[in-house]
Amino acid sequence: MINKDLIGRESEPVINRIEAESVRRFAEAIDAPNVEDVPPTFVMTLRSGIIPGLELPEKGLIHARQQFTYYQQIAIGDVVSCTRRIADIFERRGGLGLMTFVVQEMTGRNIAGDLVFTATSTLIAREG
Amino acid sequence: MNSQKMLKVGDRIPSHKWIPTELQLRQYAEASGDYNPIHLDDKYAEQVGLGGVIAHGMLIMAQMGIMLTDWLQENEQISKFELKFKKMVRPGDTILCVGQIKEKLGNTFLYELGAQNQEGIEVVSGTASITIKQEKSDF
Repeated sequence: MINKDLIGRESEPVINRIEAESVRRFAEAIDAPNVEDVPPTFVMTLRSGIIPGLELPEKGLIHARQQFTYYQQIAIGDVVSCTRRIADIFERRGGLGLMTFVVQEMTGRNIAGDLVFTATSTLIAREG
Repeated sequence: MNSQKMLKVGDRIPSHKWIPTELQLRQYAEASGDYNPIHLDDKYAEQVGLGGVIAHGMLIMAQMGIMLTDWLQENEQISKFELKFKKMVRPGDTILCVGQIKEKLGNTFLYELGAQNQEGIEVVSGTASITIKQEKSDF
């Protein structure tokens, strides 16, 4: 199972530029009426680096919950530095057997270092 | 456009209907970089016990985002947005996203969000906070 020692571990920041082309492609894929505005969930596509030692099983991984907090508006041309960290890892035994919950928090900051957004994902890994 | 002064607890956002297709799942995989085969490969999805491909949770959330963005006035922005993914959504399902003002806290309206499939089963639930913009983009 996923090692609890990973709690608190963080990736190195990655600089992202919000590109018009990526926004347009994303907006078209979700069928948004306006392809020039940055959709609120677009920030999930930004690169936020690798957390050393974290290996999530692809099979049976469930996205259980997603939370966003936006501190500033995001527009095409913005530069956002993103990191992610393991906020929590815990286990529960349920109808599907042993489930491991992994809570990852992604943080975006502008060039001045001010918070732009946080995106918290709760993923469930099933055993087997 | 609805006027800010007119909004009150209990008001509903115009609902947003969405029918995902396999093509859209593929397009979303390409646009988001999430190529997990459970969204793309029916055989694989069956092998892992899902009974066929399912929509990305983030694609469902994006639909809720479209509903919220359409509703926003020029002087408003989304400050919080959260969903719990409760049931799988498949290509061909008819998903109806809804939202309603639950509470007003200062310059922020708290909305309750939900989406049902064609069988009336709730597939997601959550909340959003929509805030009146302050000077520039800080709030």
